[in-house]
Amino acid sequence: MFFALDEDQQAFDGAVRSYLAGRFDLEAVRGVFEDPSGDGHPASLWKAAAEQGWLAVTVPEEHDGLGLGLVEAQVIGRALGAGAAPGPWRGTVLAAEAIRLAGSPEQQAAWLPRLASGDAVGAFTLRGSAPGTLPAVEYGALADVVVARSGDGLVLVTGATATPQGSYDGTTRLASVEAGEGEALPGATAEVVAELEARAVVLVAADLAGIAREAITRTVAYDKDRQQFGVPVGSFQAIKHALADLHVAVTLAEHAVLYAAHAVDTGLDGADLAVAVAKAKAGDAAVAATQAMIQYHGGIGYTWEHEAHFFYKRAKRLAGQFGDADAHRARIAELTIG
Amino acid sequence: MDLTYTAAEEEFRSELRSWLSANIPNEWTRPGFWESLDDDESFRLRRDWERDKALAGFAGIQWPTEYGGRGGTPGMKAIYDAEMVLANAPRSVNPLALTFLAPTVMAIGTDAQKKEIIGPLLRNEVIWCQGFSEPGAGSDLAAVATKGVRDGDDFVVNGQKVWTTNAVHGDKIFTLVRTEAGSQKHRGISMLLIDMHQDGVDARPLKQMSGASEFGEVFFSDARVPATEVLGEIGEGWRTAMLLLSFERGASGIAQYTEFRRQYDEVVDVAKRLGRDTDPVIRGKLARVLTDLECLRYHAMHVQTQVEQGRDLGFEASMTKLIWSEPSQDLWEVFDEILGDDATLDSLGDLDLRPLHAQAMWSRSVTIWGGSSQVQRNVTAERVLGLPR
Ligand SMILES: Cc1cc2nc3c(=O)[nH]c(=O)nc-3n(C[C@H](O)[C@H](O)[C@H](O)COP(=O)(O)OP(=O)(O)OC[C@H]3O[C@@H](n4cnc5c(N)ncnc54)[C@H](O)[C@@H]3O)c2cc1C
Repeated sequence: MFFALDEDQQAFDGAVRSYLAGRFDLEAVRGVFEDPSGDGHPASLWKAAAEQGWLAVTVPEEHDGLGLGLVEAQVIGRALGAGAAPGPWRGTVLAAEAIRLAGSPEQQAAWLPRLASGDAVGAFTLRGSAPGTLPAVEYGALADVVVARSGDGLVLVTGATATPQGSYDGTTRLASVEAGEGEALPGATAEVVAELEARAVVLVAADLAGIAREAITRTVAYDKDRQQFGVPVGSFQAIKHALADLHVAVTLAEHAVLYAAHAVDTGLDGADLAVAVAKAKAGDAAVAATQAMIQYHGGIGYTWEHEAHFFYKRAKRLAGQFGDADAHRARIAELTIG
Repeated sequence: MDLTYTAAEEEFRSELRSWLSANIPNEWTRPGFWESLDDDESFRLRRDWERDKALAGFAGIQWPTEYGGRGGTPGMKAIYDAEMVLANAPRSVNPLALTFLAPTVMAIGTDAQKKEIIGPLLRNEVIWCQGFSEPGAGSDLAAVATKGVRDGDDFVVNGQKVWTTNAVHGDKIFTLVRTEAGSQKHRGISMLLIDMHQDGVDARPLKQMSGASEFGEVFFSDARVPATEVLGEIGEGWRTAMLLLSFERGASGIAQYTEFRRQYDEVVDVAKRLGRDTDPVIRGKLARVLTDLECLRYHAMHVQTQVEQGRDLGFEASMTKLIWSEPSQDLWEVFDEILGDDATLDSLGDLDLRPLHAQAMWSRSVTIWGGSSQVQRNVTAERVLGLPR
């Protein structure tokens, strides 16, 4: 039995994290946050994402991709969450996944190499239906191609009009997309749509797990040093016990995301249950961990100057995306109670 | 990622399965069977059955063959633990000896101790108790006050242990005894192996909230214990105890998952029979429990991986205890909500609730023994996260 990242996957993880820490840290995230009229799409970060293969991760090799799976993708997703990093990475990867799984050979040839190289920006949504309005699409204003529902199937929408929508999660830009007729993805059966949804859920859960881990790591570091009553506040049992419980919850969320990614990649029995468990656990863990991050930093944690709110706000948004914890628990109940 | 077991491990699984199916009477797997027996009868049946299992080669799965073990892999041990649950095998009567004492003796026992202790405990000829807790030393284990005074080749032991599992069925007890007069905390303690049938040792049952009497009190009054019956060095009992407790770390979460998943299904079944399975509040609560049970399974695979890679999990073991004990308790609280006004009844229609209540009552103990949840949180915060003491 080997339930862990292998050496290559760990190295990949290390590379993404060290790039973000060294070249796109939280000060850079702050720059994006404080420029709400900007497109939230820093060129340097996008270039790195392309060069380092973060965009090409699941694209097949014949289309200039790395041909890896969701396990590798969730490694990147987690790191981006931990860095509260902006940009249309997930939308691009998911658009490519839709085209890989449901596109015609022509659609694949036209889009996959461009999405893998970062020449084209993708977006993916399951809210709304084309033709019609697609609400709150991540980086919808920037996307060259939006994959959206149309009836029971999926379509590629290009040249749509997008209206930016304000959001308190300044790490991400959202837009309402006015979608006309799109180009159908011929292979988008109900099964394929369900698989894409599962992949989307896992990547969002990965981001949440990254956020959650970073939130408690930073909080532990702060509370080890911060002195009140002549001792570090981290020596108080009320804080210790809460952080211990969070550490357990976040560890389980990490396991759950990893397992779900593997289960979807390999079509394991119970993959649908695993996906729902991952999202429910990661969503709850990230919200709880970022709430605690604010609380256990005290007043400084409530200031704009402190980075706690980057994580909290991002967690709040993603906890609801592709189904909140209650929705996934309803699914869990369906699968285990009937 | 590879979540499978090797061919040899799967081979072992099928061998074990066929032995279990041939050797567990149908009657034993009927819900409520074990609860219908008195403690002594249940103990005797289980002791004999487990001895037969050991003689058939299904004990000490990971121990070296020279100690009567099977020389198996960690994977086989995990399979063994899970299969025992799946087959409804009776609970072990000698768990403390098998999990804690034997590996400690193998690691630091004298040759004579290895020979005298391991084989007999494997065959259940000697049932062992763990005499750590005292009325004034529970979570604060280093507060033990039971005294051992050297007199020639013996220690003369006086004091009291409490919450001792199997106290009245025990043949021997591994105890923490203060053998250095006036010593403080973890210094000056020795681990003595004491014969419980001798003069000066008196074991009395304590009735548990479940109604059973699995644990009890043990009183020592001038009990004489030969100094050769010290495990590890004299005065170094704390170190021996820590080594001993570290052997819980390989413990299989996979078995716990298997068991709790079955309990979950039992609770769901009751909900269905009472027409409560469509209540959205109940569904939400069950799903919350199930989420944590599935996470326990993933964590068990993580632990299994670490063990197979030969890594020491260290203080992560404290997390594992929290991860399995707390959700198992949550499950039984939802069970009571499902029963609603009738939560305390022995039966509802033709539904005998007593076996389920017994499991529910037991769940109240799992966050206390083996280090309470609060203590595990302290360990996790201080030793895993590095927060200041
Ligand atoms: C079913 C069962 C079987 C057992 N079997 C055995 C056995 O075979 N052998 C044996 O030696 N012992 C056994 N025990 C005893 C068990 O190990 C102790 O009960 C346990 O360690 C707790 O000690 P205590 O009962 O003295 O509680 P206390 O230590 O008095 O704890 C009381 C409360 O205070 C909390 N607390 C204590 N210290 C702290 C702290 N530092 N920070 C925060 N909270 C704290 C505890 O969590 C608990 O909630 C058994 C117990 C049970 C319930």
